[in-house]
Amino acid sequence: MLFCVVSFAQTTVKGKITDNTGLPLPGANIVVVGTSSGTVSDFDGNYTLIIDQDPPFSIRVSYTGFEAQTIEITTNDQTVDVTLQEGNTLDEVVISASRTPERIFESPVTVERFGLKEIKNTASVDFYDGLENLKGVDINTNSLTFKSINTRGFATFANTRFVQLVDGMDNSAPALNFPLGNLLGMTETDVLSVELLPGASSALYGANAFNGILFMRSKNPFDHSGISGYVKRGITSQEAAGDNPYTDLGIRMAYKFSEKFAAKVNFGYLKGTDWFAVNEEDKLNRGLTRDDPDYDGINVYGDEVSTDINDVAQTLESLGLAPPGSSALVPSQNVSRTGYNERDLTNYNAESIKADWGLYFRPWENDFEIQYVGKVGSGNTIYQGANRYNIKNFFLQQHKLEVRNNNFFVRGYVTEDKAGDSYDMVFTGININRAWKDDQTWFGEYVGAYIGATLGGATDAQAHAAARTQADTGRYLPGTPEYEAAFNRSINDPDLSTGSKFQDNSKIYHADANYNFGDMIDFAEIQVGGSYRTYKLNSSGTIYTDNNGPILYSEVGVYTQLQRSLEVSESVELKLTGSIRYDKSELFDGFFSPRLSAGFTINEDHNIRASYQTGFRNPTTQDLYIGLDVGRAILVGGAPDNPARDIRNYDLSTNGTAITGQTNINFDGTGAYNNSFFANSVSTFGETMNPADLQIANSNLAQPEQVSSFELGYRGKFDGLIIDASAYYNQYQDFLANETVIAPFYGDVQLTQTLPGGTPLAVAAIANGDWQAYQTYTNSDEEVNSYGAAIQVSTKVLGDFDLSANYTYAKLDFDVNQNPDFRTNFNTPEHKVKASFGNTELFKNFGFNVSWRWSDNFFWEASFGDGEVPAYHVLDAQINFRIPSLKSTFKAGATNLLQDEYFTAFGTGLIGSQYYVSWTINNL
Amino acid sequence: MKKLKYITLSLLTLGMVACENELVQDLRDRANTNDEPLPELTTGTADFSNYVAVGASFTAGFTDNALFIAAQENSFPNIIASKFALAGGGVFNQPLMNDNFGGLAVGGNRITDPRLVFGGAGPVPLEAVIGPVTVSTDIAVNNPTGPFNNLGIPGAKSFHLVAPGYGNLANFPAAANPYAVRVTGNTPNASILELAMAQSPTFVTISEVGGNDVLGYATTGGDGTNPITPTATFDASLNALVAGLTANGAQGVIGNLPNITSLSHFTTVPHNPLDPSNPDFGPLIPTLNSLFGALNGVYAFLESQGAIDDAAERTIIFSETEASAVVIVDENLANISTLITQTLLANPAFPAFLAQFGLPPEAAPQVAGLLGVVYGQSRQATADDLFVLPSSSVIGTVNEDFFAFLQSQGLPPAVAGQFSVEGVTLPLEDKWALVPEEQAEIAVATEAYNGTISAVASANGLALVDLNSILVEASTTGIMFDDFNMNTDLVFGGLVSLDGIHLTARGYALMANSFLKAIDATYGSNFEASGNLAKAGDYPTNYSPSLQ
Repeated sequence: MLFCVVSFAQTTVKGKITDNTGLPLPGANIVVVGTSSGTVSDFDGNYTLIIDQDPPFSIRVSYTGFEAQTIEITTNDQTVDVTLQEGNTLDEVVISASRTPERIFESPVTVERFGLKEIKNTASVDFYDGLENLKGVDINTNSLTFKSINTRGFATFANTRFVQLVDGMDNSAPALNFPLGNLLGMTETDVLSVELLPGASSALYGANAFNGILFMRSKNPFDHSGISGYVKRGITSQEAAGDNPYTDLGIRMAYKFSEKFAAKVNFGYLKGTDWFAVNEEDKLNRGLTRDDPDYDGINVYGDEVSTDINDVAQTLESLGLAPPGSSALVPSQNVSRTGYNERDLTNYNAESIKADWGLYFRPWENDFEIQYVGKVGSGNTIYQGANRYNIKNFFLQQHKLEVRNNNFFVRGYVTEDKAGDSYDMVFTGININRAWKDDQTWFGEYVGAYIGATLGGATDAQAHAAARTQADTGRYLPGTPEYEAAFNRSINDPDLSTGSKFQDNSKIYHADANYNFGDMIDFAEIQVGGSYRTYKLNSSGTIYTDNNGPILYSEVGVYTQLQRSLEVSESVELKLTGSIRYDKSELFDGFFSPRLSAGFTINEDHNIRASYQTGFRNPTTQDLYIGLDVGRAILVGGAPDNPARDIRNYDLSTNGTAITGQTNINFDGTGAYNNSFFANSVSTFGETMNPADLQIANSNLAQPEQVSSFELGYRGKFDGLIIDASAYYNQYQDFLANETVIAPFYGDVQLTQTLPGGTPLAVAAIANGDWQAYQTYTNSDEEVNSYGAAIQVSTKVLGDFDLSANYTYAKLDFDVNQNPDFRTNFNTPEHKVKASFGNTELFKNFGFNVSWRWSDNFFWEASFGDGEVPAYHVLDAQINFRIPSLKSTFKAGATNLLQDEYFTAFGTGLIGSQYYVSWTINNL
Repeated sequence: MKKLKYITLSLLTLGMVACENELVQDLRDRANTNDEPLPELTTGTADFSNYVAVGASFTAGFTDNALFIAAQENSFPNIIASKFALAGGGVFNQPLMNDNFGGLAVGGNRITDPRLVFGGAGPVPLEAVIGPVTVSTDIAVNNPTGPFNNLGIPGAKSFHLVAPGYGNLANFPAAANPYAVRVTGNTPNASILELAMAQSPTFVTISEVGGNDVLGYATTGGDGTNPITPTATFDASLNALVAGLTANGAQGVIGNLPNITSLSHFTTVPHNPLDPSNPDFGPLIPTLNSLFGALNGVYAFLESQGAIDDAAERTIIFSETEASAVVIVDENLANISTLITQTLLANPAFPAFLAQFGLPPEAAPQVAGLLGVVYGQSRQATADDLFVLPSSSVIGTVNEDFFAFLQSQGLPPAVAGQFSVEGVTLPLEDKWALVPEEQAEIAVATEAYNGTISAVASANGLALVDLNSILVEASTTGIMFDDFNMNTDLVFGGLVSLDGIHLTARGYALMANSFLKAIDATYGSNFEASGNLAKAGDYPTNYSPSLQ
């Protein structure tokens, strides 16, 4: 008989993983060196490793943020308790930079990480706000709950150049094309880590990974189970709004039913009062007040409606409503209607409710996992785009199905938004006015009273004052029933000529796949992947040109990356990474985005890297398909088939009727793109009456914009000193930009068609008022460059205190004076300094942290308005106390301790101070 | 190593002392819609320390047919003086009236009326709105004491300014001007020129000298009661005036004369105000055409006989669909009264014609005689004829004197009334209209005066303001003053006050600016470039009736 030796060796190792303060580390990885076998510590830090291998062998114990340890196992049933030493920041593992785990130290490009430790220690009110302390990161504060993250400049609140992924899902709202901060994002106790890649990274992440990309990863219930939660209460304090209560709470429940199945549920709720925006300065920087006829207050709405009262007087004359000739008494000067303060148009309720749930299935009890994740969120906030919007009961839902293991994933998800009860506060102001008295009547009364006052002996200023008083007689006053009724009618009416409701129910369908051949090929680590996305725009004609049903369009991309490490010498290791991606949208030509990087690691303590990256951004859904009359112009998107769908009917002037033989005309948006003048040149023509001053606009259709980025970086450890520095140079091409153009209803802009007398037909159309102003979406020919640098130094001082400081430099290389009409929206201070000082264990279970930020002044440019943002200092601080027996941490903190109110963007409310206490349980 | 740590950390805070950012400055500049900062005001070579203004009603600030305190404060010399004050100018004294009603009295007896105000449709006397007022400026009682920097004397002609005794109350009214009386103080016989010279001005403005020399003729319809000053007289007066004012080296500026016939006083009343839709006029048209038909027949007959060659010009027809021109006396037509009378009497149908009006055949010689007298030099007006503003209240009314005369001639009242309607059956007298020949006289005189003014200006190194072309612009295309497009329309044009001749405060501000610009050009000052011109909006076009 055969002597069969069954070599059935089984070794058990068990123990407890703790940190250097003695606290258990749940979720630490224990892997047998040289194999993929291993386990994870449980909630109490305990682990049991059973392996079909005889000793001796080594296990490697690692935990994010701690220095990994390798331990020799010599006997069976050995108890090995491991105390991990907190590592430095460069030892932390990131995934996003190469789509595969690696130490920050070795990452081929700049990457920032905000992990559990940082979340615990941040002095900001929550983890998302805490990101602001990272070097190179700007947070533009829209409102209390809507912070817009950006890196490397060129951002407005509608930051369509920045991507935010939550567990791989793009968090942006399809209607808006950008994420609403963390309003509909993650609850704090479910956050595993946050990573941020500044700069372009389209080579791996496709369209819109242009300025940067933020990754938020949640905790997998297999690794992190149990119930955890937090409650945070406090006040917001602002001069305009006073002191208001603030509550934020979240709970996470995760349960591992078996090795095969785990599930989790998160719920978050936040309620507070937003920062009041009460800036009544003149929006156009003319230094006007309401005593001036054409005042347009920054946070005063309705006064955007403005007209030349001499034109009104002439109309009144021609209608016999004013004495013949009396227009000579009326100046050719713009007068605006009287507006309403923003605070009368919103209750500044800041609220968010979010929930998500996930089912995780591991059929073979290994790394192969099938996930279903669902997320819903609804919130109230303020968003500042072209106007200021009260985002009310905005609803976003996402559903994802993902199959993955350590080497691949395939995921598909759908994002759907519903605008809810959101409304445009500017148009609300305008249309409350109109509901009370239409513009024609108001201006007519104004002019009538102006003439009357003049004939009665008034000077110009006195006549304007009398005219406004007369025209405003009986105006709806906030708080009265008629005001409330008009307000409610407006916010429920999506037609911007009468209302202000923001209506949308759009969707994105997205699929991603990635395969990492790292385990199969020795030569290099190779990954391939791809993505597919379909947009379904559905605003029922209120935003997009989708009167006749939803608009659908798709884009697809594939990419691959090779990464290879080479030993150059004993002490020098070279890591080369190359990636390339091909993208094709059905609307545009396909193109390639490459990335190349080389990193030298010298003596394990110094890493020098250089990279070339590219990024591109597709025009947003609005850039492509908007068709919206905002009064001063019609916004008409630059997709090939879009302008023709924006058809409107216009009455023609008497002269126009004589010329065309028709009293009205159906005119569509194609005129803006193929037969138009620049609006500025038409203004000049209005003064000079010289047709040679008319410049043909004929905007090009929108194309993707592109960036090339060159970057150098250094990371290093000196004795106790950690340095992370980078510098970049960015070149932008085909910047997506707007042009304001004027399309004549008849006549070609080349002026070849003329009237019998020789007057060009198009000139006649302009002179007769037979034209429409459009804002087109197109690309600028201007090349824009920017460069910058960031450096962070961190160390331990005075024993155990953490001290770090960073400096960010950002510079726009662009001649403003040579390009008077081009707005780059750089919106970034040249200098920023941030520092933090703290100690997680000042004495037993007690820690504190102080953060300070300084931002240089800069000039904010955005569609809502332009203005300077002064330099500011902000000081945040927190103290915390842990009670291990209750698995609890209590934290008391304050932001903006100096109580020096500031703002980060023109037009928003001033940011006040927040004082809070929080209790976090089971999130140690 | 420890040191390195702190040095590195402190280096990071260097950004704090960063210098001002160029980009921010550029963007700030671009967004700043306020204009570029303006240069400082400089005076150039001019010396504004003692400024005297010499002229007539415009210089005085006359507006709405009166002079009153508020209007004087907005006189163009006072506006100029307020700008001079920014450039070394001294106090500017004006002979302010005693009230804001306007009008003058002598020893309690009113000699001129208070101002006009806007009455809802057009100009009306102040007292029609607020009731009777007491004119409190009395040239026998409360003359202010000088000396006065503003020596604008409403109504003064060129030669008056150099005439001794023109401001002596004792000479009033025969050879003195009540406004001159108010400025002479204790030297009653001093001429206006002497009053100016006594102040040793460093800077003078000389304006509208010569204006009244033609204006009087124009406002009287060129009827001869107020003749145009001969050019030689004007030349002598102006030369004496300028020589005297600049004798001590004073600098200055002189304004030429606009062609006053483009003022609204002469352009407001149309030549064809007879509207057939007017119920008081329309129904009469057939009767009128029947009457004038007979007369037109006479003209045609006379032309056929070779007696006249202008029958067409004399023919009178009233349209039943369009506005018709008024009938006027034109002294330039040959007087054919006798021929008309003879022709009518020779016509066998004339008695029947008379019967239409209920007149017996015996009245024929008398009626024919009357018709001859009335229509001997008449014609219908054309667009080339101008009418003075007061004619608007006369046209279409019954001329009571003529009505009485006709009755005294034995015509029944009804017929007498029918033949006494001004501008319809009774041709408008010469004083109401400026026919082309009269306009030409004014234009010729104005041109001659302006030639002299220009020559005198250059001979004496004075700046010259071309008010003539300013008025031409205003009366044709309108003239932009800041945001206002002003024209010469009465009431609503913004430039001309309610009397149709003088300017509004805003008009005077425009005038002040034209002087300041001329000063800039000649003396190298920069009132315009430094943003120190008057702003249109600060000056009203009207004065409230309640202003007292």
